Amino acid sequence: MKCLLIASESAEILFHWTDQEFQQNVQEKYSSSQEEGEGLPAFEDIISTLFAPIIISCGTMVYRQGDSYTSFTTENNHIYALCQFDECLYIAVNGDGEEKEDDLRRKLYVLRKITEVMFGMVTLSGSLLRKELRPQDTEQRVRLWKHLQSLVETYNYLRESDQSFLVEAVERLIHPTLCEQCIEFLERRLVQQINSSSLVERAGEEVLHTFILVHTKLLAFYSSRTASTLNTSDLLTLIIMAQNMYPSNVELDEPSPEVQPPISYSKIIYNYLEVPALHCINILSMAEDSLHTLDIGPPDPSTPRRVFLELKDGQLPMVPHSMYCLPLWPGITLVLLTKVPNIQITRSVYSFLEDFTKLEKCLNEGQAGSGAARGQLNMHNTRSKLDKFIRDLGPSELQLLNVWTEFKNRAFTRGGSGLIPLCKSMKTRLCSLYRQRFLTDTGSSDGPRCLSPALQERAQTMVQEKLMDWKDFLLVKSKRNITMVSYPLQKEEFPGLVHFIWVDRSSGQIIAPSLNITERTTSELGKGPVARYIKSKVWGLVRTTRQYLRKGYSTVTLRDGDFYFCYFLWFENENGYKLEAGDIPILPDDSPPIGMLGYDYYRKLLRYYGKNHQGEAVKCYELLTVHLGVIPTEIILQHCRQLASKLWEPSRNPLL
Amino acid sequence: MAELILPDSRRCHYFFLYDGSKVRGEDDPTRKGICYFYPEETPLDKQDLLCSQLAGVGRCVSELSSSQVSTLRLRRCKFAIRMKDDFFWALGCSVDTPTVSVCELLHQLINLFCFYNGPVRMSYELNSRETLATGWTCFLSHLLSAQSPLHYIFSCLRTMDLTNVDPLLLLKAALILQACQRCPLVLAGCIIFKGRVVSTQLSPELTMKVMVHEREMFNKAQRTNGTSAPGSFGCAVSSTGVFLSPPELQNLRSPPVNKDSSSHSSIQKDAMPRRSRLSRTLSDTPSSEPEPSDPTSPHSSQMLSVHPHWSELDNSVFSPAPTQSAAGSTTCSPQAQRPSSSQRRNSHKAEEETLHKSYYQSFHDSTRGVRQIEGEESSTCEGNLHLNGGDGACETEFDFSGPTANVKTVSGDNEASCRSIKDHMTEVKHLTLPHPQTLESNEQNSLIAMTLYVHRVNSLVLALLVEPHFLNDTTSIEEVYHSSLASLNGLEAHLHTISPAAPEPAGQYLFAHYDCIQNTLTTNVSGRAVGAPEHPFVRATSLLHSHFCSTETLQEAIIRSAGTAVYGTRNVAQETFFQQLGGPPRNSGIPNHQDSAFSLPSKARHRLLKHGVNLL
Repeated sequence: MKCLLIASESAEILFHWTDQEFQQNVQEKYSSSQEEGEGLPAFEDIISTLFAPIIISCGTMVYRQGDSYTSFTTENNHIYALCQFDECLYIAVNGDGEEKEDDLRRKLYVLRKITEVMFGMVTLSGSLLRKELRPQDTEQRVRLWKHLQSLVETYNYLRESDQSFLVEAVERLIHPTLCEQCIEFLERRLVQQINSSSLVERAGEEVLHTFILVHTKLLAFYSSRTASTLNTSDLLTLIIMAQNMYPSNVELDEPSPEVQPPISYSKIIYNYLEVPALHCINILSMAEDSLHTLDIGPPDPSTPRRVFLELKDGQLPMVPHSMYCLPLWPGITLVLLTKVPNIQITRSVYSFLEDFTKLEKCLNEGQAGSGAARGQLNMHNTRSKLDKFIRDLGPSELQLLNVWTEFKNRAFTRGGSGLIPLCKSMKTRLCSLYRQRFLTDTGSSDGPRCLSPALQERAQTMVQEKLMDWKDFLLVKSKRNITMVSYPLQKEEFPGLVHFIWVDRSSGQIIAPSLNITERTTSELGKGPVARYIKSKVWGLVRTTRQYLRKGYSTVTLRDGDFYFCYFLWFENENGYKLEAGDIPILPDDSPPIGMLGYDYYRKLLRYYGKNHQGEAVKCYELLTVHLGVIPTEIILQHCRQLASKLWEPSRNPLL
Repeated sequence: MAELILPDSRRCHYFFLYDGSKVRGEDDPTRKGICYFYPEETPLDKQDLLCSQLAGVGRCVSELSSSQVSTLRLRRCKFAIRMKDDFFWALGCSVDTPTVSVCELLHQLINLFCFYNGPVRMSYELNSRETLATGWTCFLSHLLSAQSPLHYIFSCLRTMDLTNVDPLLLLKAALILQACQRCPLVLAGCIIFKGRVVSTQLSPELTMKVMVHEREMFNKAQRTNGTSAPGSFGCAVSSTGVFLSPPELQNLRSPPVNKDSSSHSSIQKDAMPRRSRLSRTLSDTPSSEPEPSDPTSPHSSQMLSVHPHWSELDNSVFSPAPTQSAAGSTTCSPQAQRPSSSQRRNSHKAEEETLHKSYYQSFHDSTRGVRQIEGEESSTCEGNLHLNGGDGACETEFDFSGPTANVKTVSGDNEASCRSIKDHMTEVKHLTLPHPQTLESNEQNSLIAMTLYVHRVNSLVLALLVEPHFLNDTTSIEEVYHSSLASLNGLEAHLHTISPAAPEPAGQYLFAHYDCIQNTLTTNVSGRAVGAPEHPFVRATSLLHSHFCSTETLQEAIIRSAGTAVYGTRNVAQETFFQQLGGPPRNSGIPNHQDSAFSLPSKARHRLLKHGVNLL
């Protein structure tokens, strides 16, 4: 019983995703209220009718009460979470008890993040985003929605099954030698070769980042020296997209754990399309649909996806890149991120958008002070820059020029009345320019602008050759990256320790023993139900500790049933010196979710904490442990301490 | 009541009752459906907005989910919602109030209203909105005027600081109540001193409801008497009609006393009843307390001195009262089986129903005066209502001013006495009894009319729930009055001499101990200080309480921010929260077993012993 939807202010449904149960439920409800003989209208229309009162009431409350709904619960424990992003209302519903309000809010932020990565600055204009999310053409709309729906499902699946998506941090395969070799290979061979090929062959693009994914785990990641860091939020989103294109099949039979590299297990078939696993059916059917109907993306991997990523630690958001997902083998994917030409426009458009937003805000706050506001914003500076910008664009941007001329007339000659609507239309025009340049204009008369298929194929083959002997090992390793009986832990050293998760929030990396809960594999957590129970406890623990962190508590210990849970968050400087615990901001319940994917809470936290540690690089770490309840607390805390210092080591490992 | 704490307006932003059945057509204005809105000075268009939007969204969500909306949150306000028939209640509190607390408050508020007014639909058919609005205002202000922010979070009863009261006085109070029960028409009651419970035989929910009336009477009296002391209206005895749900009544009518029980002492040792509603003060024994088996050991002698309950228990062996308490606790404390407050909330109705059935058979045969209840219920109700003329007013006043208690009732024919009590009647005029016919017609939510008898001696109040025809039984009234008057006077005099507990010396720690079953709170967090040092504790407590409510398996927790570390622990009956003041020394937050936060459990165990809280 799950549902997710985006609605415009006028209660138009811009996107919806529902599971089978919700759809059936809603249809039954609707048909019972309908008269005999009438056919059931389209599902979209039903949803729209049923949710319209909520959406409209939301608008009314914002408008008249200056407040908006954040959640509803019902007596049968249905939960509704609502978020207003700019002009769009996002609603998530759960009626099966599998998700809590925080999960729903998180889902909304992730959906928002996905739209940002897909549409970039177009999301900043309500009217353009509306057109983008709900194309007039029905076929196009169906295609887009199917694609988005399958992304939502992929995310849902990953959050429920994968620890790295539970805590929203990237997990690396722990194999220092191989990782180092791969990074070197990516740098010296792959990136160099692509970037030094002819300008025509690579269509003016330049590889900035490249990484190899084994399922959801990172084997190697290389960024060229000119590239700015790829942040965790974007990287996680890209992993969702890659997983969506090439879903990995975790439920498949696994080789025995004793496997040592590089032994080939040719008998094991990793054909995910032939052996549909239970959980993958939806994703696969979705993916297959999109395979047939989407002209961008798979099955033709040579057509890149346009993605909009953040540069310079968020200072420059939503810069266009091309993403190439090259499947090496089922479960192993090579991802290339390239810089596209002419991105300077992004920077200008973004700064103009910011100026107009600020101006609009000033105008809204005090009509009288518009003159002062203009002075404060230095609109004259903006004016000259924008004049030059439009001149450089040439005569094709007539509409932008027209609006700008009108704006200038109003603002600088006629005393500046009625500027607010003009601010809005300037923003819309700027977004529209950006859309035209980076979203629709993927192909011109001289063929698509992307790395040539031959070049892509060469890259794919190169990496395949390199990893040929390792691939089976990697696939196993990705399932048993760390186990509780192996590196870096000996069971004798930590008696009673059931599970742990360690996260370096500064680099967004997680280290945790694998939690395999498939029926066929036996891990040290046992089989089936026991492992599933522990898994549900871990998932619950993460949820709980986030609630406390939101209220400013950075240490939590809980005795719950037969287990003892600990959670610690602390700060260190670069040399590993433990910094004094500082106050953590107390946030309301409906604040953005604590995590790094949909909203980078930890970056904000690090900035907040770093204010008192100027000139020092501050690191933030988290440790969660699950112990058996019979272990004395004293011992448990000693374990935590030892774990924290032990795990400190691998993060220093120059895996990059 | 010595301390009259004004409701903290910040605690409750809005409360309203909206009747959707009044706004059916397109042209019907929203305000036609607004039965009550708090704060009353809210501009009408804002009232309209909130009522129409919230009720509209509530209905829409209910239809989508085929279930009623229970909470509705805005960015700045959190609403607990109740939807019943066409009525829509919303109670809006600040967002940092735990959701469980807001829902519990609304639940209590509606129950209070029904207790004094009967079913809502019927009350609104019989009375004007203005009349009933006074009721809502009164109940709301009562619920919001909690002793401390913690009382608000736990929505618990106000009790005497029992560590500060001579145990013998508590015993005396319990005996008074039991003495009153000798009259077969008296069901059960409680004794309240300055707005705090001294002893009660009623469930926490019922005690709370009864206390509202007492407080309201007191407030009215104070207002009419100007600034004069409460003593000026002397011994006033009054009564008012109230409504009980069938399970509530069932529990009350179960025989409170098993006079045949002779092996009480062994029962007490073996089947140690955790608490008794019959006489809370007598058997109120923290469940985890060790047996006081060896009075010679220094430890247990200390225990005796600090735990009044234990000395009472010892007394109980030779006094007749505890026999009754022991037996009574098994018969009329169905809540004894309730494991936790969250469960209590969730399975409230179901449990009561099953208990209703199971207790019914076993106890109704052996009673002395109670006959077949189901046959009797209606007849007693009707009887009473007829006597009152069925005109909706059931206020009765008694005048015991003379030395030979001259009992007069409204339904009697003594006109002089009727006149003499007119003044008092107006005090409780808004609490009116509805028409009997409508009562019976409402099958789903059948509430049974009973009577609340209140006898005030200065600051001390004896409140008894009695069968409606008690008021016509002059002998009974006299009996109850005389059997209790002297004792009440004595008790009042003694309680009066108790100086209010000396404020804790600028404490080294803060604690709160919540008894989920009796719904009481022991704490050293003072009421008025919303001061900085206590705020972090209150915040942590409210978070932990919510967590305990939502996670059945959670037993204990330590949470620490940069400046505060709070320890919380719970068992089936209690929740305890503890914070060492002076702040933990600054630390890095990295796991460290020497960290002072992790010594909180042992500190709490030691420190709280002297408050009668045993965490061992």
